Amino acid sequence: MSDLGRVLRIDARRTALFLAVPALSFLGAVAAWRALLPGVAYWDDAVAALFSSVCLLGPASAGFAAWVALREHRLDYLRGLTARSPALGPLLDLLLLGIVTLCAYAVVALVVAAKTMIHVEAGHPKPIGPLAGALTLLVYTVIGYLAGRLVPRLPTPAAVAVVTYLWGAARPDAWADLLPPPGVGHVGLFAALRTELLAGQALWSFGLGTVLVTGYLWALTRHAWLALPTVAAAGVVAGTTLWLHGQQRVPPVVPRAFAYACRQWPLTVCVHPALRTALPSLEAGLTPLATRLSGTPGRFVRVEHRPDNDFPRPGHGVVYIHLSDLSPGYAHRAEQEIEISLLDARTCGDPRHAVGARYGALVSAWLLDEAPPRPADAAATRAFARWDEQRRRRWLRAHYARYHSCTLRARDFREP
Amino acid sequence: MIGDFSAIVARGLGIRRGRRWILRPTTFDVTHGVVGLAGPAGLGRSALLETLATLRRPSAGDLEVLGHDVTRRAGRRAVRARIGLLPARFAWVSGLSTRDFVAYASYYKCTPRRAVDAILERFGLSDAAALEMDMLPQDLRLRAGLAATCVHEPELVFLDEPLTGIGDSEREELIPLLRGLAPTVVVTAADPAELAGWCDRGFNMVRGRLIESPGVPLPRARVPAGV
Repeated sequence: MSDLGRVLRIDARRTALFLAVPALSFLGAVAAWRALLPGVAYWDDAVAALFSSVCLLGPASAGFAAWVALREHRLDYLRGLTARSPALGPLLDLLLLGIVTLCAYAVVALVVAAKTMIHVEAGHPKPIGPLAGALTLLVYTVIGYLAGRLVPRLPTPAAVAVVTYLWGAARPDAWADLLPPPGVGHVGLFAALRTELLAGQALWSFGLGTVLVTGYLWALTRHAWLALPTVAAAGVVAGTTLWLHGQQRVPPVVPRAFAYACRQWPLTVCVHPALRTALPSLEAGLTPLATRLSGTPGRFVRVEHRPDNDFPRPGHGVVYIHLSDLSPGYAHRAEQEIEISLLDARTCGDPRHAVGARYGALVSAWLLDEAPPRPADAAATRAFARWDEQRRRRWLRAHYARYHSCTLRARDFREP
Repeated sequence: MIGDFSAIVARGLGIRRGRRWILRPTTFDVTHGVVGLAGPAGLGRSALLETLATLRRPSAGDLEVLGHDVTRRAGRRAVRARIGLLPARFAWVSGLSTRDFVAYASYYKCTPRRAVDAILERFGLSDAAALEMDMLPQDLRLRAGLAATCVHEPELVFLDEPLTGIGDSEREELIPLLRGLAPTVVVTAADPAELAGWCDRGFNMVRGRLIESPGVPLPRARVPAGV
């Protein structure tokens, strides 16, 4: 083993590298897993989950790097009084810390990618997203290390972790959300992250990291040539900051073209491809509702999954559902949404029709296979409960208009 | 008076911590031999040592070490290859063998691998070379620290309280070793009595002032230099 190899091995042991990688990986993986949409696999959302993990992994890496710098400070009597370049020690430290951080990030990225691929994947992987996350993470590490070097005090690691966490959690301005790590939260199924924005964020992180490292090396060595990359990187940071500032008027996500995944029989149910695993249960849950509504103006033969901000008027046998994830109860939520869309919001919201709305709730409970509500009119409830399925369907065909407008009356439930 | 062959020449050297002077601007020089620096802990003695060893910038004045102006980068760079510093309660790499610890230092001191074995033998550490630093008794650990500090055969060595916590018998063995580390050795202690009898020259730090002790005996005749 070469002398440098021996020194690196010793420094790796000194920086607790073998403990830090699994600890940081676990932290980042938990953060990313929690950020993923339940039951949904979507590459753009996977990138957003990686950014969420960076918001936690970054401060942890920064605190760890500051702690390493603090420990390294105690060995300055060996490493500082060196015949070699004074930049050697810090560069070796940054190299090892970078390896630790990137290894932990790679584990997190693998976990997210595995989950995305195990579930039915949708969209396409965008390498620029994970790259932006990795560069941001490296900036956190460099900031932590430099803080530990410049202020070698015991509270420094904790202070660095808190300050960098606050940067990720609470930005001073809305546009600052566009700076890395971007606060994109979840990426909806029908949206896609803007590639040019990710590229800008990656460039910003790269520039800032370069400014910090070359600036610190210049302070240590006073090599004039270091001014060139430092100034160039500072220019990149300034330029990308201005560009990102100009992007605040455009949403960070854009609508994305996609082809529905559909199931055609007995009902046509079409969902975003990321939710195609939900098709059987949606089909099973919505078919009874469609059967009960057949023969009424509310009948439907096609169900379409739409973006959260898109509410077309149902009609011509088509109804719409909005599902952002597959958390438990999603099929029932879809049924409820269709049932609510059957009602006239204007008349049903009128307090004068409160009684009619209560009768309507009785019908809605049947349509959704729910327990009937507390009876407002015991006679009507008893009568409706006595009727068999066929009779109820006939009754609904006859009284659909009143159900739709929440104007049902007690006499609508009387025996003929 | 400042000699022509002084290892350290300080003119108006002052060190401040915040707004307080740790060392008020003072002029002194250090020639060859063992120079003692006594003063209570926490009052700037270690800061003065770090400043002389170029790890800390002086707040005022000029400082020349081994003929180089160490207030300038080029001077510091040139000097750092020729000096050694062992701090009080020095840090080591936990879990590391004595040989690896000295080899680690030798990499940064830019010395060949064979220098490691040579200095381990010179400091009586050949048998303890494979032992972990944490396992060593205090006097051997000090020897390992000294070996790491001096693996590049420096011309000037700074030792901060090296004998603190060392027993009397080990102390008697170590003093000749300390005297022979380099042509010029600057050593500190909390109590001036600890330095009496084996230093060629002595200073006291009192309330931010450096005062030369006139009464330090010249022990060269009694204590053999080198080992």
